[in-house]
Amino acid sequence: MATVNASAGAPLAPATRTSFWRTFWTNAVIAPRTTLGFMRIDFVLGTIFIIPLMQMVFFVFVVQVSGGGASAIAFTALGNAVSTVTYSSIFSVCQTTDSEKQQGTMEHLLVSPANRLALYFGRGLLPILISLATVSVGILYAVLLFGVQIPVATVPSLAVSVTLTAFAMVGFGLLLGGVALYLRTSIILGNIFLFIGLLLSGVNFPASQLPTVLQWIGYGFPLTWGLSAIRASVAGDSLGAVALLWGAVVVAAVVSFGLAIGLWEYFERRALATGSIARF
Amino acid sequence: MATADVPAISRSRATRASLRLAVLMFMADPQWLIPSMIAPVIFGVVAFELFRGAGPYFLTYAILGAGMMSMWGQTLYGSGWAIGQDREFGTLEPTVQSPTPYVYVVLGRVLWNVVSGLMGGGIVYLVVLASAGSPPAVPDPVGFVILFLFVMLTLASVGILFSAAWVYTRYSGFIQNVGEFAFYVGTGCMFPIVLLPFWTNPIGLFFPPTWALDALRYLSIPGYVGFSWGFWPDILGAVVTTLVYVAIAGTIFKRVELHVLAKGNLSDY
Repeated sequence: MATVNASAGAPLAPATRTSFWRTFWTNAVIAPRTTLGFMRIDFVLGTIFIIPLMQMVFFVFVVQVSGGGASAIAFTALGNAVSTVTYSSIFSVCQTTDSEKQQGTMEHLLVSPANRLALYFGRGLLPILISLATVSVGILYAVLLFGVQIPVATVPSLAVSVTLTAFAMVGFGLLLGGVALYLRTSIILGNIFLFIGLLLSGVNFPASQLPTVLQWIGYGFPLTWGLSAIRASVAGDSLGAVALLWGAVVVAAVVSFGLAIGLWEYFERRALATGSIARF
Repeated sequence: MATADVPAISRSRATRASLRLAVLMFMADPQWLIPSMIAPVIFGVVAFELFRGAGPYFLTYAILGAGMMSMWGQTLYGSGWAIGQDREFGTLEPTVQSPTPYVYVVLGRVLWNVVSGLMGGGIVYLVVLASAGSPPAVPDPVGFVILFLFVMLTLASVGILFSAAWVYTRYSGFIQNVGEFAFYVGTGCMFPIVLLPFWTNPIGLFFPPTWALDALRYLSIPGYVGFSWGFWPDILGAVVTTLVYVAIAGTIFKRVELHVLAKGNLSDY
């Protein structure tokens, strides 16, 4: 961690931390538009409005060609509406580490006295909002274009499920971003988790169709639990049943955020010790 | 500066060197495994699960679709990067100034994109085959292979045109990421585009792979219902659109070289 007077041989004193909220605000609003680079209006609008539609159209027509009925189409449409959250929550967030390395700002960040908790939560704010918008628009497409029925009474429960899923997914993105601190590039990591959810999280077909080992791997992803909660909400399951799934999503979110901060601290120490980890 | 009297040996040597460098960079930078290998395998397995039990030719559908997506993905991302890498590394102007026309350098990279996309298609084939336990039913294997190679050729023409077009835009990343599924849908990678609303069909016909893939399905899936005009018009459409793409790309590349001399700002990123 940054200290003062170290080179002069004076006793080490903790550096003055900038305020929590200033760091939070800088990372939430300014950094995405500058160094992190994911807050571009074309990318944001494309992520919210185009990607969900195209991904849903693609898989819905695949289901249609394979002879799937209305229920299979609705299942796939809803699954893909939710899974598009990975673009904003995982890919954008995971790539922030790459952006810092590529632009040479990682070293400065690592030696700065910025509050790490504020930094992490700040970076997650916009992706959470974009994720909420992406899933909401996706679900709207599912209802308007693909015949997914959502009773009005289930909307509050659905809103909670969507919000929790967005938080959990951004936490997972931050976790991958922490791992990416050690890697040369995070693009592979982000992409793998971008696509693997389509297979393991019950997006296009029930996860129960998969071999047991793959099912267990799928349970390790927040998307699996988030999607289950959203499906349960839409199906009008009892509050008790949905609450259990919400609990699982919350656990996934807390574990992701906790591991992300832990990883960041660990690799930060290694970076300061070796002086090479922040290179691109 | 490229000149008209550049010997052919120089051009072929530039293409070979470019191809070799593309292979080495592919191995050094594993991110290219994503569009060419990882994503298509996942799409292939998902398609296999969705198509399971949907008739005797479902396996062909799944393999063709995922293989096609592999090649499309590699073309889309690889061709975007074919010039982007020169721009980012600062080698665009020196390369364009070399005696060999730039298009021959890009050709080497596009060739590798096609080959790596084909490798991805092969991996998809093996993975889906392992999932299914038996090979797909293909009525005319020889014709299938020949037409499959032709599909690759049509994709290469798209790659060259995209490479040329990306010179003039900073939005290649945006188009690649946001448009990925749009290309898969619009060219009928996994299903015939006649299933889409009619007004979308002419858009798909702008792309040579749409024609070629429709022909390939006519050949390999008995009872397939694609474009009403059938197999041979599909082939003709694919050949014509491919030639048009190559001609446009060649024109753009010539213009790029002139642009470099006139403005000197090509490498601005």
